[in-house]
Amino acid sequence: MRWAALGAAAALALLASVTLGPAGIPLGELTQSDIVWNLRAPRAILAFLVGGSLGVAGAGLQALVRNPLADPFLLGLSGGAGLGAVVALATHLSGPWALPLAAFAGALGALALVYRMGLVAGAALDPRILLLGGVAVGAFAAAITTAIVSLADAAELRNAFLWLWGGLSAASWDTVLVLALYAPLPLVVLFAAARPLDLLALGEEPARYLGADVERVKRRVYIAASLLTAAAVAVSGVIGFVGLVVPHIARLTWGHRHRALLPAAFIGGGALLVLADTLARTVVAPRELPVGVVTALVGVPVFALLLRRWTIA
Amino acid sequence: MSAAILRLHEVTYRYPAAPRDAVAGVSLTVRPGEFHAVLGPNGSGKTTLVRLALGALAPAAGAVEVVERSARAWRPRDLARVVGVVPQREDNLFPQRVRETVLLGRYPHLSLWGAERPEDHAAVERALAACDAAHLARRWLWTLSGGEYQRVRVARALAQEPRLLVLDEPGVSLDLRHEMELFELVRGLADRSRLGIVMITHHVNLAARYADSVLLLAEGRPAGAGAPANVLTRETIERVFSWPVAIQVLDGRPQMIPLRQSKEEPA
Amino acid sequence: MRRLLLVALLCVACRPATDRAAAPAGPITVADAAGRAVALAAPARRVVSLLPSFTELLFAMGAGDRVVGRTAWCDYPPAALAVPSVGDGMPPNVEAVAARRPDLVLLYHSGANVTAAEQLAGLGIPAVLLRLDRLEDLGPAARVIGRLTGRVAQAESLAAAMDTLAATKPPTPSPQSLVFIVWDNPPIVIGHGSYLDRLAALAGARNVFADVAAPSAQVSLETIAARDPDWVAVLSDSAAPPAFAARREWRAVRAVREGRFLNLPGSLFGRPGPRSGAAVRQLRARLEAAP
Repeated sequence: MRWAALGAAAALALLASVTLGPAGIPLGELTQSDIVWNLRAPRAILAFLVGGSLGVAGAGLQALVRNPLADPFLLGLSGGAGLGAVVALATHLSGPWALPLAAFAGALGALALVYRMGLVAGAALDPRILLLGGVAVGAFAAAITTAIVSLADAAELRNAFLWLWGGLSAASWDTVLVLALYAPLPLVVLFAAARPLDLLALGEEPARYLGADVERVKRRVYIAASLLTAAAVAVSGVIGFVGLVVPHIARLTWGHRHRALLPAAFIGGGALLVLADTLARTVVAPRELPVGVVTALVGVPVFALLLRRWTIA
Repeated sequence: MSAAILRLHEVTYRYPAAPRDAVAGVSLTVRPGEFHAVLGPNGSGKTTLVRLALGALAPAAGAVEVVERSARAWRPRDLARVVGVVPQREDNLFPQRVRETVLLGRYPHLSLWGAERPEDHAAVERALAACDAAHLARRWLWTLSGGEYQRVRVARALAQEPRLLVLDEPGVSLDLRHEMELFELVRGLADRSRLGIVMITHHVNLAARYADSVLLLAEGRPAGAGAPANVLTRETIERVFSWPVAIQVLDGRPQMIPLRQSKEEPA
Repeated sequence: MRRLLLVALLCVACRPATDRAAAPAGPITVADAAGRAVALAAPARRVVSLLPSFTELLFAMGAGDRVVGRTAWCDYPPAALAVPSVGDGMPPNVEAVAARRPDLVLLYHSGANVTAAEQLAGLGIPAVLLRLDRLEDLGPAARVIGRLTGRVAQAESLAAAMDTLAATKPPTPSPQSLVFIVWDNPPIVIGHGSYLDRLAALAGARNVFADVAAPSAQVSLETIAARDPDWVAVLSDSAAPPAFAARREWRAVRAVREGRFLNLPGSLFGRPGPRSGAAVRQLRARLEAAP
C-alpha cells in the first residue's frame, strides 16, 4: 500500500515537473514542445536520478558509520569537486564536459584520500575515521580552492562557486544518458548490501559471527556511496539535505530493514528532488531559486509532520 | 566417537605489540552434545580463544579446525551455518521486535536477492520455542528484561541452525533465576539437539555443575582441561585465581567456596 | 646656479596654461557618496584610482599623468598599463596604496571600500568614495574628479557629453531582442536597470529580461528558450562562441542554435565610462549590420 503511494507520488512529481514551468506551455502543446522534450523531460529524469542516488547513498552511509547524522557530503567529496572545477576554470580547460569531468576527478581524489585515511591495521576501514577524514579533506580542499580563487585573475573563477551551488540547469539527454549508464552499478552494489547492513547495526563483531563479510561490505558500501555522490556533485553541484533527511523520512514508514529502506530512499529521494526542482523553477518565475534551498524548505516540514505522527503513535 | 566440530590444537597467539602471548599452547576438542566451559581470571585469553576458534584471528602456532577444515579457510557466510555465536556485547541502534532480530540469524541461509522463505520462518519459530521465548515474538526488544533478552540472543544464534554454539559470558548481569535458566537451556540444547557448546563464563560453580568438560586458562596457558572434578581442585583454583577457597562436592561436582582473607592471618 | 634658475623658470613657463587658469585657489572640499566630507589643500597631484572607470575618466580629462596607482583591472587607455598596479582592489590593499604616497585615492562606493577609505584617512590620505552603478552616475563622478584634480573645464565637457547620453530617450526599440548571459551554469542574465541593460536600450535592442527588476538574476534555461531572443550577448574579448554554446541543453535556445552571438569586449562594455557612447554606437552598428 505504501509502495503504491510512493510510486504515485513519484509519478505525480515527474508529471508536474514536465507540465509546469516558467515557460508557460499549455497542456495541449506539451508533446510538440521542444522545451518540454529537450529541457524539462531530461531535467526531470536527471533530478530523479540525482535525488535517488543521494537518498540511497545517505541511507547506506548512515548504516555504515552507524550515525544517523551522516550525510553524503561529509565525505569531503564536495570540497574535492569544487577544487577540480576551479582548477579546470583556472587552466581554461575547454569542452562542454570539462567542468563536470574535472569536478568528478576532484571528487575521486578526495575519495581516495579519505579512504586511505580510513584504513587502519592494514585493510580494515574504521567508519569513524572516514567521517572525520572526510570533514578534514573537504575543509582542506575548500581552503585550496578559496586560495586559488582569491589569487587568480579571472573573474570567472569567482563564478565557480555559483556552479557548486548550482543545481540542475545543465540537464540534457546527454547528461541523463551518462548518469543512467553510470549509476546502476553502485546502486546494485548498495542494494546487495542491504542485509549485511542490517547485521552491521548489531556491531561489527556480531555481524561477522552472523555471516557477514564485514570488511568487504564496509569497503563496497563506502565506495559505492561515494561514487554515487561524486557523480551527483559533478552533474548538479551540492544539493544538501536530500542525503541526510530522505533516509530518515523513509525509516518512519518502512522501518530499518534495508531491503525495503534502500529502494524507498531511492524513489523518495528522487521524488523529493523532482518536486523541489519544479518549485525552484516556478515559484519566483521568471527567476529561479537554487534547488538546495528548496529541498530544505520542502523537506523540513514534511519531516516534522512525519516525526510528529511517529511520536504520537 | 563422532567427528569433532571444533578442534584447537596447541594454538598460540600474541596481539601486535603485546608483551606476552595472549594464548599459548591451548588445545580444545568439541564433539556434538558436549558442553565445554572455558574458565579463567580476567585477561587469561578466553575471548581471544573464541576469536581464534572462529577464524577471526590467525594463530601464530598450532591449528584450528572447524568440521575438519582450517578455521581461516571458511568464508564467514559458510561458517555462520555451522557455528552460532552469542558475543558479549552487541549494539541496539534502533528499535526492533524479537522476531525481526531472531530472523537476522537466518542470513547465512538466505540467497542474495531472495526473500525469506517459509522454512526460514519455521526455523525462527523453532529457535524461539527452544529458548522458551515464543511468547515474546512480537515484543519490542527494549521492553524485555535482561534474562529475556539473553534468551532472544541465543534464539538468534539457534536460528542459524548451527552445530556448535559459542557463548561469551552470557550470564553477566543476569540475576540468579535467569542465569540458572540460561544454563538449563544450554544444557538442554547439548542433550536434546546434540549441539556442541563452548561457553566462556566467570561462574565456576555453575560451569562445574553443568559442563561436561572444563578448560581452565591462566595467563593464556592451560591450567587444566577435562572433567570438572579433575580440574577444579583446591590447589589449582587457588593458584589460578590467587584466592583461598574450600571445595565441597554437590551431585558429584566440585563447588568452590571462596574464603575470607584477613590481612593479619597468613593465607 | 644660474642654469638651475633657468631650468626652474622654464618649468614654470611650461605648465599648461589652462591648468593654471582653471585651478581654484584654496582648499577643495567634496562630500563623497558615503557622506564623508573630504578636503584637499590643493588639486591632487598623485592619484591612486581603484576603479577602471575612474582611471578612464582621469585619462580622458587630461589628468592621466597624475595617476600613480591603478588596479590590475585598469586596462584602458594603454597608457594606464604603464602605471604601477596596487592589486585587484577587491578588497583594496591599503598598504600597497599607501606605498604609492598618494594625495588622493578614488574608490567605488561599496561596504568593503568604506572600511578601506577609513583606514586610508587614518593614514592621512584623503579617500573619496564615488557611486558608479548607472549611466547617470558618470556625469557627477566626472565633475567631482575634475574638481579634485583641478581639471574642472575638461571634466565639465566630458560630464556634459555623458549627461546627454544618459538623458537620451531610447529609440523605439527595434524588433531585435537580446539576452545578456553572464554565467551559464546556473544561467545568470542581466535584468532591468543595470548598465548593460541601459546600453542595450540606447542601442535600440530589447532585453527579453527587462521585466526582471534585479541587475542580475538566475533564471531557468527554459525561460530563455521560451522568450526566444534574437541575440545572445556575452562579455568576451574573443570572437569565438562561448563554451556553453556546445552544450546540448543550450541548443534549445534558437539564437544559440543559429550561432547568433554578440561578443562584447569586456573593457568597453563591462563598465560605465567615457567610452559609453562609443559602446552604444558599436552595439547599434552590430545590430543593424546583421539581419
